[in-house]
Amino acid sequence: MKGRAGLALSLAVLVAAALASTAGAGSSATQATAASQATSCKGTIKLAIITPLTGDAGFLGQEQLSWAKLAAKRLGPQLGLKVQLVAGDQQLDNALAASLVQKYLADQSVMAVLGPATSGAAIATTDTLFAAKMASVNMSATNTTLTKGADKKGSPAFFRVVPDDSVQGPTDARYMVNELKAKKVVLVDVREPYTVGLANSTQATLRKLGATTIRESVSIDQSDFSSLVTKIPGDTDVVFFPTQQPAKAQTFAQQLIEQGKKAVVFSSDGAVSQDNFNVPGSYVSNFAGPVDQYKYNAPVIAAWKKDNPGDTLGPFGPPTYGAAQVALNAIKRACVKAKNGSITRNQVLQQVSKVRIKNWILGGSFRFSTKTHDPLNAKFTIFQIQKDGSYKVVN
Amino acid sequence: MDTFIQLTVNGLTLGSVYALIALGYTMVYGILKLLNFAHGDVFMVGAFIGFGMLQLLGGPSDPVLSIYLVLVLVTLSAMAGCAMLGVAIERFAYRPLRDAPRIAPLISALGVSFFLAYSMQLMFGAQFRDYDTFAMANGDLFFKGIDIGNVKVSLIRIIVIVAAFVLMLVLWLLVTRTKTGKAMRATSIDREAAAMMGIDIDRVIVFAFVLGSALAGAAGVMFALRAPVSVTVGFLAGLKGFTAAVIGGIGSIPGAMAGGLLLGFAEAYTQGYITTRWSDLVVFAILIGFMLFRPQGLFGKPDIQKV
Repeated sequence: MKGRAGLALSLAVLVAAALASTAGAGSSATQATAASQATSCKGTIKLAIITPLTGDAGFLGQEQLSWAKLAAKRLGPQLGLKVQLVAGDQQLDNALAASLVQKYLADQSVMAVLGPATSGAAIATTDTLFAAKMASVNMSATNTTLTKGADKKGSPAFFRVVPDDSVQGPTDARYMVNELKAKKVVLVDVREPYTVGLANSTQATLRKLGATTIRESVSIDQSDFSSLVTKIPGDTDVVFFPTQQPAKAQTFAQQLIEQGKKAVVFSSDGAVSQDNFNVPGSYVSNFAGPVDQYKYNAPVIAAWKKDNPGDTLGPFGPPTYGAAQVALNAIKRACVKAKNGSITRNQVLQQVSKVRIKNWILGGSFRFSTKTHDPLNAKFTIFQIQKDGSYKVVN
Repeated sequence: MDTFIQLTVNGLTLGSVYALIALGYTMVYGILKLLNFAHGDVFMVGAFIGFGMLQLLGGPSDPVLSIYLVLVLVTLSAMAGCAMLGVAIERFAYRPLRDAPRIAPLISALGVSFFLAYSMQLMFGAQFRDYDTFAMANGDLFFKGIDIGNVKVSLIRIIVIVAAFVLMLVLWLLVTRTKTGKAMRATSIDREAAAMMGIDIDRVIVFAFVLGSALAGAAGVMFALRAPVSVTVGFLAGLKGFTAAVIGGIGSIPGAMAGGLLLGFAEAYTQGYITTRWSDLVVFAILIGFMLFRPQGLFGKPDIQKV
């Protein structure tokens, strides 16, 4: 009896192993097939966006989604495409982003992906997207290693329309030393790729410029920073606190004031929100300046406001519109070149780096660098928070 | 010395909040032997109810009443709302499973926790809510206070600490000096014997949920007065509250208070003297240490099994 049970168990294990290996093969085979499967340019073409629609960064994703919807609605007809936007909620969970990528890869009418919105999720999914030859045009993942460096993590399918942290960090550091005359800076990361990468690049430049730096780190769930604030030396000039949660930058700045510290908070693109981070005298840097400074943006801003009455123009939406514009232009270019009126994901991917856009929503004109998949000549803008909570460009 | 005083004040503020959360865990466990994992989410709901009431009363910078009265009303509304929520949770999620194996209500508690977090998210969105205490009374709550040496203890910290201790004192008096408190203690010692003595067990259990949830609501407001809150804030706060209850000796009311304060101090001193990276590590290492060497906690009694 024992022998039969053992045999049955062995068989079950073998069958399970066989099924698992078949499933794995099926998955990669499906990806390869999907990459070469053609979709008609006259049919509905899907554009996917992967962003945190709920959770701690839900505010960011909702803003991105609203601009992606606008892009699909406005640009689809302009380019002669029937575009359907599909949205996936990655929260701040890389595994969730990976499963969403699998879902969109399985749908052959999805021709390009916007996002995943966060650097960690972009790193976690970039190889899978490339294996299926799916272009991902990113609107907010700024981790430098996605496009540059010896340990480059981004695949050839990864493109982004915003400058990366190797631009943001040095820009911020130079401003701190040259304009704020900072001699001592405390840098606080939140133990995830975006903030760690940005803090690293800022710290490296600060050191080169001769500033004294102290590195600290908090958990992503921490929202009371009192004890860290207590630890910050009294002669610290700036606390560099990159975060994707503006309310936490606000709390940090307030707790510095509460304990009588003279240091000002300098935060990053993730904290740009006039509603949630508005302690006067603080600073934020962002990959986009105010888009309403460019007159040609007036119609698109008006259209967005019409669709989203009462919402404030934020920093994360316009780059998403730009990313969708790049993706849809690549699809259009692929359609123009297609001989039989149908396109594959690979054909779209080949066209992304060739896209050129005049009157770019973030200012000037847009094209990718020939060396990396980063935007050419993109800059970070630094804002100082005024007494009324408004943001004033200072660089 | 200034750093030590400031960290002690920080720890006391944080520890008071943990203690209030821990009390809810400990009361329910004491009576039902149930780990109410939805308790952290009740804390979160309390913070949100308080936020809603604050807006209803004119917001932080332009309140329709004195800001101190507003804070009292905000706290009371959160306590009342959470007490009702506690009753509903007990009635619909735990009471039907009271005689089921102990794993069943535990799983139900986890389900209620997710239900609360995600339904709050659906109703109110994912963004952080900030009470904006800085804007209250033109910043007086932050800029005024008392000086201990070179350390300024802000008014808002004093309010949080005093309010938490008053609530703990009220609870202590309620449990030790009233008939209902005596019934609660009797039920926690032996439920069946208490029932035979004529104690209405259902009423006692509901009362424990009312008290525990009301304290969680108050803790939610006190936490939110100092830090932004989102619908996910309940998970970690609940975990810390649970840890505090275990350290103090789950089922013991003074233990929950002591455990909360100990946890608050441990976090503050670790962040201030060692590194912020280690604070959660130290907190949960303390938990493991207690589980290994003193599983009954600081004030708990060893669970002797008769053979």
